[in-house]
Amino acid sequence: MDRRDFLKTGGLAGLFLSVGGVSLPIGRAFAREGDDITLRVLAEDGPNSRDPHGDGVNRAALGTFTNIYDRLVNFDRIEVAPGLYRYDYLKFKGELAESWEVLEDGRVLVFHLRRDATFHDGKPVTAEDVRWSLERGINLPASKRQLSTGSITSADQFEVVDAHTFRMRFEKADRYTMPNLALSFASVINAEAVKANATAEDPWGREWLRNNAAGGGAYKVANWTAGQQVIYDRFDDWKSGDLPRIRRAVVQVVPAAPARVAAVTKGDADVALQLPPKDVAAIDADPKVDLISLPVTNSFRFVAFNTQTAPFDDVRVRQAIAFALPYDAMFQGAIFGRGTPLYGAASDQPETSAFPQPYPYATDLDRARALLAEAGHGSGFETSFSYNVADAITADPIALLVQEQLGRIGIRVVIEKVPAAQWGTLLTEKKVPFYVEGSSAWFNDPDYFFRIFFQGDWRWNFGAFRNEELGALVEKARWETDKDTYEDLMRQAIRIVFRELPIMPLWLPAFDAALKPGVTDFTYYIHGQVDFRPLDRKA
Amino acid sequence: MPAILGFIGRRCLATLPVLAGAVVFTFVVMRLLPADPAAFLASGPGMGQAEIEAIRVSMGLDRSIPEQLAIYAGDVLRGDLGRSYTTGEAVVDDLAARLPASLELTVTAFLLAILVALPLGVVAATRPGSVIDHLCRAIAAAGTSLPTFVVGLLLIHVFYSELGWAPEPVGRMDVMLIPPPVVTGSLVIDALLAGDTGVLASVLGRMVLPCLTMTAFAVAPLARITRGAMIQVLSADFVTAARAAGLPRRMVLTRALRNAAVPVVTTLGMVFSYMLGANVLVEKVFAWPGIGSYALDALMNADYAPVQGFVLLVAIAFTLVNLAIDLLYGLIDPRVGRIG
Repeated sequence: MDRRDFLKTGGLAGLFLSVGGVSLPIGRAFAREGDDITLRVLAEDGPNSRDPHGDGVNRAALGTFTNIYDRLVNFDRIEVAPGLYRYDYLKFKGELAESWEVLEDGRVLVFHLRRDATFHDGKPVTAEDVRWSLERGINLPASKRQLSTGSITSADQFEVVDAHTFRMRFEKADRYTMPNLALSFASVINAEAVKANATAEDPWGREWLRNNAAGGGAYKVANWTAGQQVIYDRFDDWKSGDLPRIRRAVVQVVPAAPARVAAVTKGDADVALQLPPKDVAAIDADPKVDLISLPVTNSFRFVAFNTQTAPFDDVRVRQAIAFALPYDAMFQGAIFGRGTPLYGAASDQPETSAFPQPYPYATDLDRARALLAEAGHGSGFETSFSYNVADAITADPIALLVQEQLGRIGIRVVIEKVPAAQWGTLLTEKKVPFYVEGSSAWFNDPDYFFRIFFQGDWRWNFGAFRNEELGALVEKARWETDKDTYEDLMRQAIRIVFRELPIMPLWLPAFDAALKPGVTDFTYYIHGQVDFRPLDRKA
Repeated sequence: MPAILGFIGRRCLATLPVLAGAVVFTFVVMRLLPADPAAFLASGPGMGQAEIEAIRVSMGLDRSIPEQLAIYAGDVLRGDLGRSYTTGEAVVDDLAARLPASLELTVTAFLLAILVALPLGVVAATRPGSVIDHLCRAIAAAGTSLPTFVVGLLLIHVFYSELGWAPEPVGRMDVMLIPPPVVTGSLVIDALLAGDTGVLASVLGRMVLPCLTMTAFAVAPLARITRGAMIQVLSADFVTAARAAGLPRRMVLTRALRNAAVPVVTTLGMVFSYMLGANVLVEKVFAWPGIGSYALDALMNADYAPVQGFVLLVAIAFTLVNLAIDLLYGLIDPRVGRIG
């Protein structure tokens, strides 16, 4: 068996390898043959689960779920540049569902499944698999709450009409149902395969599914070496879309960013992800690499205050800090200007109902001093400013700039670097008074953002914010179907957070990836991983 | 011979409390850390207290610490070190897969370091103030002051990016090659056993830069200690006496070497143990699938089981290294040689 045969046949058990391209860069060897295209991706982390409802699955695992499982529907895409796409949050296309009907004013959804779709083991995909997968999703903690945001909460809602027809029923139409069905939490799993490996203590087969794939997606896992690499082979009988061009994809874990950058620059790798902002400009100038850079709309970076503890319980203190922050220096120093600023809006009246949008604060130390004096802190105070060590590349410069600048208005700042493992616990328990963090929401609707980030007793209410007026507005907007009314409600809500400042947003980051020239049709999804299905490459 | 076996047997028995202590200590320390794995795992937006609690129960973290410890100790005795949620695999399997990678790198770099550092130290000591002596001091200073990842990145930049001499600094072998059947886990040995020269060349090629990085790290303390010990011995009375008695230079040096060997062997043991645990950064830079980077990832993720398993493994390794050093002492120094 020669090298090429090995790559063609794939699926060799017991591979124990790590990778490189000293003798023969994979892409070059296969680009000549139309059907045998291989792709090599370098990422910072490897996936840690094959269970789309698993606890603690990491971002890399979301990419795995996308490729190895199908959902009923997926987000459609928009071309943003020649050969570059981003997902379209508002439009859906069928994946396992050939078509669907919206009945009774949106209270009933009927999905017609493809009749010829099978799982990787050859078993036909049936409506019962869909029903069981969703039932599993609403019973396991990691997916339960997310699916409930789309009113998918109870097994009573599901009905298997026949082997290829699945019906869902809702008390009222919910605009978040379809986007939820397009997320990996709604992946369709081979119910028989999982049930065969479930036990009495583990009725949903969680132990087994974590280390075994039971899907029918476009790619099969050919080899899984945890923390090192995953090799995917195309599932040639895939029916939920056009047969992908990429025959085999290797995703390798390369923790050091300089090594990822070096490999893609040398042409040994096809895609490098998680690029440090400081290297991106250099990569952009390099003719041997194609840089793709897209604004991310559902992630944002912000400075947060614990609004329940002094002195940050005084809105004037929060506003004073918002007028003191050195925005431009942070934007350049931390992310080299690669993002969309969320500060410096000219008016405190929101222009649109979109969120996040620029806040009406810019550096103005005189106003900051005046507000501090008004709040009775004319001589300043002492506080700590914290960040997650895992986030140091971005947070380090931010913290130093914040410390220096706030010193000018009399606020003495002690920087606290918190170990990554401890960070989540501290945020959940609301024990950090003043900090920098980034976060993202699955969906772009402003009321969804507000629900996650500005209310509740969970970690994502970063400002520990409580405001009844805002709660009422968000609750009203939740079911509002009239566009103008909805937008008006959201403008009111945005005015509140502009004024009350539970957090001060800094910017939307950019999604950057380095591609070897010839790799085209990259589609950016919410999770920032590589979807191999639409990709193509030329010699 | 039976005396030695008895010695080894007693030493092994004596390590059991140490290992048990390591298990209990790490277990308790991990639980005293202010990190809650359940909160870490509930990382998706929208997971509230109820979901965190459900995860805590499913992980057994709702039980008391003594209860958890008892369960864990029972599992360890059965050879079950638990499961990592960072990789999703059993810790025993993870460690078994990664230990050979770490050992391969560490042992090679260690042997290289000995080959370089000991002669360098000896020559530097016998010719104080010479070029070699200055070189020895320069290497020792550079080795202690340059962090390993800086050396690693520098080597990658020069030999991979610029010159193109070194293979891609990613992992242990070329992905295009078929790995040899796993016998020992060491790819060098497995490739030799399989008689696969292509794989062997790829594996050796990929080991060069990380090995050099680790060697640079190990040479400094070894050369420094060797030089120091030799200088001390060479100024000792018995050497002066031997020289005065007109013994040939070679014979004097051999005796001096034997006397300088004890501190050198001690340092060797320490350096080796340290390399095994502390090559995390080298493993990270070269995407080398070793136990160090594994444990670090686990620690960052509040993933208890792999950290505990790693500490236990390193404790066992330290024990073995110490045992080897004790046996070496016996060979070097007749006074400790009478193992009784």
